[in-house]
Formats: sequence, C-alpha cells, structure tokens
Amino acid sequence: MKIEAQLFKSLADETRLRIIWLLMAKEEICVCDIMGVLGITQSKASRHLRYLYHLGWVTDRREGVWMNYRLSVTPGSPEDKQLKLLADILSSRPEALALREHLEQWLAAKGQSKEGAAACQCS
Amino acid sequence: MRAEARFFKSLADETRLKILWLLSATEELCVCDVIKVLGITQSKASRHLRYLYHLGWVTDRRDGLWMNYRLSLAPGSPGEKLLKFLEEMLAPQPEAQELRGQLEHCLEAKRHTECAKRLNAGRKGAPPGLTEP
Repeated sequence: MKIEAQLFKSLADETRLRIIWLLMAKEEICVCDIMGVLGITQSKASRHLRYLYHLGWVTDRREGVWMNYRLSVTPGSPEDKQLKLLADILSSRPEALALREHLEQWLAAKGQSKEGAAACQCS
Repeated sequence: MRAEARFFKSLADETRLKILWLLSATEELCVCDVIKVLGITQSKASRHLRYLYHLGWVTDRRDGLWMNYRLSLAPGSPGEKLLKFLEEMLAPQPEAQELRGQLEHCLEAKRHTECAKRLNAGRKGAPPGLTEP
C-alpha cells in the first residue's frame, strides 16, 4: 500500500494540486505560464514539475529556454481516476474556478502581446 | 485549495492509509485493535488517529483506558469521495484484503475473550446490574 500512499502524496501539496489543476485545463503549459498564473518563482514551479515528471504524471518538451509540460496519465490508471476525482472535487470550488479563469486571461494576454513573448518573457 | 491538498495529504502516508482502510470496514475501532492489526506502537497509532481527528475524518469516543474512533464523513463530501476512491483502488489488492482478514480475526478473538470474561463473571455471581434486590 506504499504505492497508493505515494500516489496521494503527489496531490498532497497545494502548489502541486494547483499545477495539476491548470494542466488539466490545457493540452500543454509552459513553466513560464505556471509561474505567472500561480505567482511563484521558477525554482518552485520547476521543482514541483520535475517531481510530477519523475512520478510519471507529466511529460516534458523543451522549447528554447523554457520547458513545456503536459499530463501523461494512461486512461483508466489509478492516476487517471485520481485526476477525475480531483476534477469532481474542485469543479465546485470558487477558488479553483478563479484559477482557471486567471489562466485563460493570462494566455489571452500572452497571445495578444507581440509574438506571445512579452507577457512572460518567453523564448 | 489548501483544504483539498490537506485531504490528499491524509492519504499520503502508508500507516494513515491502512488505518482508514480498517476504519471503513467497521463501525468503530479501538486504538488497541489498530495497534494489534498493524503491528505498530500505541504512540504511532494515536498520533495518526489524532491527525485524522483534527482534519475531520473521524470522531472519538473514550471507553475506559482506550479511545475508539469511527469515520465521520458527510455523504457527498470530498472526504467521502476520496474514501470511495480508496476503497475501489485497494479492494482488489491482496495486501489490503489480508489486512481486513487480520482485522476480522482480531475482532473475533476479542469477542471470544469478552464472552469468556462475562461467563466467568456470571459464574462468580451475576453482574451488579442484574442482581435481585
């Protein structure tokens, strides 16, 4: 039952929970966007994303100086079921909905800025 | 979202996971049973149970020297959903099934001991409440 405890540990941190919640809304997200939306340092964002990477929750893709991450859970796996449960729990929470809204606004602002670069100093 | 993270943290420890797994199999569990079934110290069992108590997973009831705990999750609450998920995930696992088997065994043995005590007490004289005036 150590494996199951480990599985829950992935979501036992508020920042990781928020990161996963954002990743669930998009196909792929840049570390710079996670930093911007959550208002955290690059070191903190990267640390949590590497943690999730090593446990198999996400895959990475380098683009210039930034890393992009996407969820990579197998449909029907315990991780997948856990994500569905998380979505179920958070979808009625105003704080979680506001975070998704913030992500949309952030990405829209980035899209409007020149080559999508100025908003988060990407690439 | 701190509350949700805390809820997941409740299950992020192997011992707490096992305790919840045992609690969801019975109405109420004595700390002494948790100690026996999991083979852990009283200090460890109590620490984890108090952690679960403070997060609202369980309520407590004192019975003599020992504390008894039972799950206290509102239907439809995040905790209840999480527990259902845990049940679904652990039910097919041999290790989890064995733990429930050990719990049954422990509770059965306890019932026998208590029966024997009551019988002995009956032979020596009826319990105070049952004596004729």
